[in-house]
Amino acid sequence: MKPTLHTRRQFLRTSILGGAISWTVPAFLERTFFTLDAIAADSPIQTTTGKDGQILVVLQLAGGNDGLNTLVPFTDDAYFRARPRIAIPAKLTHRLTDHFGLNPNLSALKSLHDDGHLAVVQGVGYPNPNRSHFRSTEIWQTASDAHKTESHGWLGRYFDSCCQGEDPTVGVSIGNQTPQAFASQDQRGISFARPEQFRFDLSKTSDPEAADEFFRAINERDAAAMEGGSIGVLQGTPAAQGDALDFLQRATLDAVASSDKVLEITKRTKPAASYPAGQLSNSLNLVARLIGGGMPTRVYYVAQGGYDTHSNQSGSHDRLMAELDASIGAFTADLKAQGNFDRVVLMTFSEFGRRVAENTSAGTDHGAAAPLFVIGGKVQPGIHGQAPSLTQLHKGDLMHTVDFRNVYATVLSHWLGAPVAPILKRSFTTLPFIQRCGI
Amino acid sequence: MLTPLPPREWTPIAAAHLLNRAGFGGSPAEIHRLHCLGHSAAVAALLDADEDFDLFPAPEIAPMQRPTPGPKAQIHGAEVRALARRQTLQLRDWWLRRMRSTPNPAREKAVLFWHGHWATSIQKVRDPFLLLQQNETLRAHALGEFGPMTKEMTRDPAMIRYLDLQTSETGKPNENFSRELMELFTLGEGHYSEEDVREAARAFTGHRYNPRTGTFELAHRRHDKGVKTFLGRTGCFNGDEVVDIIVSQPRCAEFISKKLWTFYAGENPPQGLLDTLADAYRDSGLHTGNLLRRIFTSRAFYAPVIVRSQIKSPVQWLVQACKILEIPLPAAAVSLKVLTELGQTLFAPPNVKGWDGGRAWISSSTLLLRHNLAGQIVRGAGGRLQAPDIDTLIPPGAAPSSLCDALGERLFQSPMSPALRAKATTFLDGNGTSPAARRDLLHLLLSTPEFQLS
Repeated sequence: MKPTLHTRRQFLRTSILGGAISWTVPAFLERTFFTLDAIAADSPIQTTTGKDGQILVVLQLAGGNDGLNTLVPFTDDAYFRARPRIAIPAKLTHRLTDHFGLNPNLSALKSLHDDGHLAVVQGVGYPNPNRSHFRSTEIWQTASDAHKTESHGWLGRYFDSCCQGEDPTVGVSIGNQTPQAFASQDQRGISFARPEQFRFDLSKTSDPEAADEFFRAINERDAAAMEGGSIGVLQGTPAAQGDALDFLQRATLDAVASSDKVLEITKRTKPAASYPAGQLSNSLNLVARLIGGGMPTRVYYVAQGGYDTHSNQSGSHDRLMAELDASIGAFTADLKAQGNFDRVVLMTFSEFGRRVAENTSAGTDHGAAAPLFVIGGKVQPGIHGQAPSLTQLHKGDLMHTVDFRNVYATVLSHWLGAPVAPILKRSFTTLPFIQRCGI
Repeated sequence: MLTPLPPREWTPIAAAHLLNRAGFGGSPAEIHRLHCLGHSAAVAALLDADEDFDLFPAPEIAPMQRPTPGPKAQIHGAEVRALARRQTLQLRDWWLRRMRSTPNPAREKAVLFWHGHWATSIQKVRDPFLLLQQNETLRAHALGEFGPMTKEMTRDPAMIRYLDLQTSETGKPNENFSRELMELFTLGEGHYSEEDVREAARAFTGHRYNPRTGTFELAHRRHDKGVKTFLGRTGCFNGDEVVDIIVSQPRCAEFISKKLWTFYAGENPPQGLLDTLADAYRDSGLHTGNLLRRIFTSRAFYAPVIVRSQIKSPVQWLVQACKILEIPLPAAAVSLKVLTELGQTLFAPPNVKGWDGGRAWISSSTLLLRHNLAGQIVRGAGGRLQAPDIDTLIPPGAAPSSLCDALGERLFQSPMSPALRAKATTFLDGNGTSPAARRDLLHLLLSTPEFQLS
């Protein structure tokens, strides 16, 4: 057994960097040293400089996207029989194959497909599907079995196993709440809806500069502090409190450094493509600027809500598809203009698909398996996985043909170069929808 | 290990520690009053306090009606959902206000502990009435015996819905509740077998509730009356008998007393202490109030490694900030936003395991949010958020050194370190003592690592 990473990091703090400096340097600035050690030890620890390395963008379609009206099986009579009011006629779809076409609003995705940059994975789900938004989202976010509860997210476990010593911005989620997928032992990953939120806001103080100076000063453990003049409340700080205080001080330093960087980048970067109005579009615009500005982030997380289409689905689902399409279209154009398109893979997911049959309100109720999109310069284009049968159903729902963790495993191992078993708790086979990265 | 604290160690700092952990902290005047009572009277005052029956009337909410399907619906799904949202907001506000202002904060703190323990979320339960009911049940048993509380939870409609007991019937028992009952609520993983999970699930078949009235009913026909073998005992057990067997396991006292210590005192207690706690809990008949009395009077609870070493939960952070700044809670929607962004939405724990707590409360994002929210609290926002009276907290014209003493006592319940004092004094010297500058200082002091600790 190799010594634990934690122990090694402590070793580095004390012996390589020396006592005094290790208190004042944000944890991730030590990573250069740490990485040297990690490389030597052949560890899975990954480092990004912000200029290279693969990036994953996860796009959540919240509410349960209707997979059948996203990737339309236009030659299947069962589809039209089950959906007399909301089925999409074959001639309106963007044909991908002889049997499947994209929703008419997905024209940018069709172009991406034609350029060889869109992969579709069909029939993605999991055994014993749960039809609660809350629970099924949790299952996707934590990559757990349906009957098990996991606290940490699948991306959080990736951060924990591969990104020790990294900047907290190794994961960036655009939104007010951190997705459970990011939940991790070390609380790495940051979230904000607007970059201005992700900073210590002193604009309301009478002298922001003086306040900022004070704030930075109180969070600085200088050499004097190390010699006994502790900044802690009590003299002779006891161990447990020292630990908690030390932890909080380091968390503050990390937060301040990350915040400075995010602000610096968003101030100087401009989108290289024109984005439509809308929240998802704004989120992807921000992600593109952070990528273009050289953030060392490996995973971005964005979401689009509104997919819970129980009644009069057609109009609302069309609008959602159009927004999704235009936002992804702008985002991919932006990345291409930056020259970063080959470094990025965008993956969509939704907590479940919807019932095969429409309901009495011309909508659809919570279902199970559905297709998802994988987009990027290095995807293996086309339709992957087997289409679920529309006649052999389980309680009115499509039966999954691909476990979502096979998709995660593929992204983790082929794209992020991470070991699958420690992150997904066991191994899962991969699918050929991504060209293996060079790691 | 649970030797009492010697009287000479009952200092104002100890009194503040007790009030922070047993309740939600308080103003210097409240700490002073508690200290003057003497130690055991102070503990008794917290654990045995009275609260007028009608001081916090519960929001008047009724079981959610089910939407009727179809285009000619009498009750629309959207209306039901909107009503549920409004009522959940009321419910959260009601409970937070109770934490903020009750004369019996120790009971509310215990209810908060049990809410995280018997974690049940509105996101699945969907009916705020059921969660109100559960909250009242937790309150009734919060400082009482664990056995009866556990039996109540097996009959609690919110729990029945959350862990799928509603559809559990003989021949098709649902194991979800049975598994979590042992894994998370009473024994911990590794202290029961899969067979025990299956057998206990049979004993709880028929536990369901009436959605119209929101009351428990035992459906005798759905209950499996057959012979079960559970944790080495055999009989035609029903749910209550299964609970009796569980709480009589030595492991149950160990599991719950460790969790109580971790919540109230500190993480990773040494084994010797754990053994003592478990013995004390067992000897008390799993009486939580009595165990807490032992803990709060023990010297171990006031050890330097315990005092001011706990990272405040978002609820503690918000409620305590309002108490020490002597302001009311923000408007309901503001509090909800604050707690949601900081990661502790009441009645919506992330999953059946409840909140992780400790360091998990802190990330770069939530830390900066805490600091920014502190700025809003200090400066107020009209009727939604009342600013504190800065002249009370930082009197104009006071000498910097006495000011630092007063602020240390109020904000951190202990003296500021020399380094922090020096910086605070320099800040006041450089920025004057206008009300705005004093608010700035208050904002900055609430944005310290020290303020995140309790």
